[in-house]
Amino acid sequence: MQLEKFRIMNVIETNNLVKTYNPDTIPVHAINDVSINIEEGEFTAIVGPSGSGKSTLLNMIGGLDNPSSGKVVIDGIDIKNLNQPQLTDFRMHNIGFVFQSYNLIPVMTAKENVEFIMLLQKRSKEERDSRSAELMEKMGIAETSKRRPAQLSGGQQQRVAVARALASKPKFILADEPTANLDSQSTSALLDIMAKMNEEENVTFVFSTHDQRVIDKAKRVITIVDGKVQSDETR
Amino acid sequence: MILSLSWKNIWRTRHRSLVVIGAIIIGVWSLIFMMGFYNSFINAFARNSINNEYSHIQIHNPEYLIEPDLATEIQNETAIRNMLVRSVSVEAVSSRRKVNAMIASTKTSLGVQVFGIDPDDESKTTNLESHLVEGSYFLNIKRNPILVSVKTAEKLKLKLKSKVVITFQDYDGNITAASCRVSGIFHSKAPRINERVVYMKKVDINRLVGHDGVNEVAILLNDVESIPEVINQLEPHAKDTVRSYKEVAPELNLMENSSRITKIIVTAIIMLALVFGIINTMLMAVLERTKEIGMLRSVGMHRKSIFTMIMLETILMGFIGGPMGLGFGYLTILILGKVGLDLSSFSEALDDFGIDTILYPSVETSTYPVLMFVVLFTALLGAIYPAIKAVRLNPLDAIRKI
Repeated sequence: MQLEKFRIMNVIETNNLVKTYNPDTIPVHAINDVSINIEEGEFTAIVGPSGSGKSTLLNMIGGLDNPSSGKVVIDGIDIKNLNQPQLTDFRMHNIGFVFQSYNLIPVMTAKENVEFIMLLQKRSKEERDSRSAELMEKMGIAETSKRRPAQLSGGQQQRVAVARALASKPKFILADEPTANLDSQSTSALLDIMAKMNEEENVTFVFSTHDQRVIDKAKRVITIVDGKVQSDETR
Repeated sequence: MILSLSWKNIWRTRHRSLVVIGAIIIGVWSLIFMMGFYNSFINAFARNSINNEYSHIQIHNPEYLIEPDLATEIQNETAIRNMLVRSVSVEAVSSRRKVNAMIASTKTSLGVQVFGIDPDDESKTTNLESHLVEGSYFLNIKRNPILVSVKTAEKLKLKLKSKVVITFQDYDGNITAASCRVSGIFHSKAPRINERVVYMKKVDINRLVGHDGVNEVAILLNDVESIPEVINQLEPHAKDTVRSYKEVAPELNLMENSSRITKIIVTAIIMLALVFGIINTMLMAVLERTKEIGMLRSVGMHRKSIFTMIMLETILMGFIGGPMGLGFGYLTILILGKVGLDLSSFSEALDDFGIDTILYPSVETSTYPVLMFVVLFTALLGAIYPAIKAVRLNPLDAIRKI
């Protein structure tokens, strides 16, 4: 009973995670024995200097990169046991991605971008319409629904990207340096929205960042240096 | 969803897609034009060979085909002619006495084949009278009038009313000679006729060889499609060998077959060039979208969907360019098929091959759907490598490239 509760609570678990590049020549340990647990509803920032391994850690948590050893368990599932198509489906249903440079589909409108993953999930039109309208409203970008990414500001594009990540109702959102390309006003607006989603809808966010404004907003800050967890501070 | 995304992707770099679509249009158009042009050569050659030389059907004594001796005659010519006169498919019939001979002028001599003909029948069958460039059609000369070609006249230095002597074996195998006068000089559209045939009246040559008979019956039909039907009608009546022009002149059959092979080869070459054009453009499109494709894979788009998306982009461009190329090609052939393509500046060379100087390109209707299929197949072929490249992209690239 205790174990079951523990598993429900921990959305992300990494156990003795290691990622070594060039293992046969000059080994570089990008991640070296990292074990962290992230619970549902957390607003976590993974911080560290450039090259510390925070992006590598995020890639492995997102199932985009394979660890050299150790394991990543998402919602009780060891993702190492999934084959390529299963892993693709798993990402689609469980993980929301927010990229530093937004990565919206330029030929689609903001609304179509938000609905894109729901389309992959084969959700009904009614569901897509209501979910995208609701999210765009909450993100403050309802009026941009028919515009294409090129017609949006950086801040608006990133909000569309967050709405897209949230639309599929994932277990958590992985955001790699989400504010790196934004000005301070847009950063502040985006952080407020994400914090609100975290508080009101209990959405789990995991950021990699070295932006102090993001760090200040985070409820938990995990500092990675040279591939190792240097500190893990909950506020 | 994938179809819609592919359609939108085509128009993302409009100019590049238009280049591919333009290449497809030009490729298909040039293919149709080339086919039409080539068909016009083959058709003109076949038409001239049939209308001026072979006709649609010929009848010979089977032994004549082995050893062309004037003594091996058609066995029941009258019954055959009676049957042919009743057939609605038959346009004209010419019975010929064919004699190998030497023709000599005061200057020189050469080997020829004398066609002993009924002037009216031959004119209806091979338009011989209309080929006269000088003189008359067996008129104005009372005894043994003869028609020679322009080439023969030049070689023997003959003019109208010049005297020539023809020497040949008669029906009994004796060498005999006769004096003739040039009644007319012709220029046929069939090079072989110009090269080695002279015409005399059948009654004259039969008198000279000492036997009344014919060695060949040539039948011109209203329509080439009627050949099997008329051959079937003839077979119970004819004791001789009945052959279509394709059997009489295997070079025509060979030409038709080789034209088919040539068209396939040219189609393959043009489509191959198109494939490489498509590969180049689509590869550029894929590499430009590395980050986006990586993002699509990251958020849960399967490899087969990415593959389908790239394939669809190319197929859709084929669906735009293909029908447009076919349409322009069809219009070009339609117009040129009516007004003709004037190649007068090459008239001498064309004449040597028995081809008209105004050509009328034509393409069989059945070719168009086949070409559409070929275009789509080409588009698919050209899209495979870029699509494979796209599915092999690592989704991690999306994050690494941020």
